[in-house]
Amino acid sequence: MDETVAEFIKRTILKIPMNELTTILKAWDFLSENQLQTVNFRQRKESVVQHLIHLCEEKRASLSDAALLDIIYMQFHQHQKVWDVFQMNKGPGEDVDLFDMKQFKNSFKKILQRALKNVTVSFRETEENAVWIRIAWGTQYTKPNQYKPTYVVYYSQTPYAFMSSSMLRRNTPLLGQALTVASKHHQIVKMDLRSRYLDSLKAIVFKQYNQTFETHNSTTPLQERSLGLDINMDSRIIHENIVEKERVQRITQETFGDYPQPQLEFAQYKLETKFKSGLNGSILAEREEPLRCLIKFSSPHLLEALKSLAPAGIADAPLSPLLTCIPNKRMNYFKIRDK
Amino acid sequence: MEQANPLRPDGESKGGVLAHLERLETQVSRSRKQSEELQSVQAQEGALGTKIHKLRRLRDELRAAVRHRRASVKACIANVEPNQTVEINEQEALEEKLGNVKAILQAYHFTGLSGKLTSRGVCVCINTAFEGNLLDSYFVDLVIQKPLRIHHHSVPVFIPLEEIAAKYLQTNIQHFLFSLCEYLNAYSGRKYQADRLQSDFAALLTGPLQRNPLCNLLSFTYKLDPGGQSFPFCARLLYKDLTATLPTDVTVTCQGVEALSTSWEEQRASHETLFCTKPLHQVFASFARKGEKLDMSLVS
Repeated sequence: MDETVAEFIKRTILKIPMNELTTILKAWDFLSENQLQTVNFRQRKESVVQHLIHLCEEKRASLSDAALLDIIYMQFHQHQKVWDVFQMNKGPGEDVDLFDMKQFKNSFKKILQRALKNVTVSFRETEENAVWIRIAWGTQYTKPNQYKPTYVVYYSQTPYAFMSSSMLRRNTPLLGQALTVASKHHQIVKMDLRSRYLDSLKAIVFKQYNQTFETHNSTTPLQERSLGLDINMDSRIIHENIVEKERVQRITQETFGDYPQPQLEFAQYKLETKFKSGLNGSILAEREEPLRCLIKFSSPHLLEALKSLAPAGIADAPLSPLLTCIPNKRMNYFKIRDK
Repeated sequence: MEQANPLRPDGESKGGVLAHLERLETQVSRSRKQSEELQSVQAQEGALGTKIHKLRRLRDELRAAVRHRRASVKACIANVEPNQTVEINEQEALEEKLGNVKAILQAYHFTGLSGKLTSRGVCVCINTAFEGNLLDSYFVDLVIQKPLRIHHHSVPVFIPLEEIAAKYLQTNIQHFLFSLCEYLNAYSGRKYQADRLQSDFAALLTGPLQRNPLCNLLSFTYKLDPGGQSFPFCARLLYKDLTATLPTDVTVTCQGVEALSTSWEEQRASHETLFCTKPLHQVFASFARKGEKLDMSLVS
């Protein structure tokens, strides 16, 4: 086994937390059951890793096996990367998409290998009709750098692909081209949507975040909304602004629904607008040029935070449509100019 | 001192007469006021009196009503059976009606296309089926506004919903729904055939079934006699019409053989025709039956 491959596998296994190690090794399916049983996972991590490397050497692990392990690690730790969303489209009047996975993989690999002699391309298909692609980039003269790969998750027979943001931005156009041609599309465009949470991006892009539908079969009655008022409270106590509270609840429910919101970490608004003020004659209002500023909202769970603003009394209901349109418009980067 | 005496009725001075007149005037007004006050008090007394009468009457009526109710409740408890059965019959009849209506609404699912009105529009339910088997259901929640729009849905991502909506949703909603039904039913049918092939006829397949999300490209290798000496066939089925459950293009080749003998060639050609005309799992079912016949002949 190559020194570099051994080092690569070692570093990958070292990244894996101990409680996930057996699950990931089983998913990798490279070391047999018998081999895994010989490993004492209760030792110190370094010893376990040593033993595993030894077993991989016995089985002559190749670079592609190591790359597969890396993909599996990334599938378990998706949130370590920030994911961009790309949308492709077909030309007008093109044939029905007869997607052939073999053909796609061959075509994709060929395009990259033709452009850059040194590139490692690996694939792993998942059950939800998606294929994970890992690309390690080299140049005409240098070997691929296995420690800075780009990951692409492509949902076949849809126009959407998710790409991990990488610092090596010069490869993005080539990657886009390879994906477009291999999947028989016409062009590729980057959407203004970005997050660490791949599942949430998928829910937003495919509009799957709301899966409650009204049917005649459902016997559960519409749930009574309680405003957090204790039923056992004395009926002589009347809440002062209960009408307003109910109005806010109703508007929040109409805007955000009853389902869990997809998880995003931020929304960014780039404003290029003229200053608007009620006072006449202020210096800013007279300024001809538009003002440029950047507003960024950050949160561990931005959409849930926005949903709780009005009920908490921090903001008026209804919220600005610029905030509430995020999942609907599939954007969390906005550029706002005067019309 | 005649001028100082204001009480003399025939006083020559004006002050005396005027003052007298003034006195008479105030006397009159006072007495008028008094009589008015007396009248208003009397009127109030009268009004209060009538009110008292009214309230007394109301009280008596209510008391009578309470007594009547108590008496009728006692009578009810005394004659339980006839009253109760009437009520129970009514309740049963209503429950039966409700049950019927609910059953009819549920039965709409079997028509393949049903819906329920929502606060903002309608939630359409498409129930797919193939060969009499009820398969998956998909929902489309529409908002009735100008323009008509889809609020959310459960249609799989690889079905061209956006395309169909762009073509028909605004102009002809019936066409939109029927077109979507076509696509979804065809997809369900193809998926059903592929699933059945994988689950029921795995013994005849010599490798994994290769399929894509829309199930419109299937590729597999199979043998008519598993474990036997014959060469496996390779089949590639293309379904270019996404509204159909039968393939548009079929190629069957024989692996590992340069030139086929005529019998193999005939078989190959007949397989191609079979795949074009019959659903996939039925073709394999016929292969399995032929295989059984062959086995039987070997045994006997």
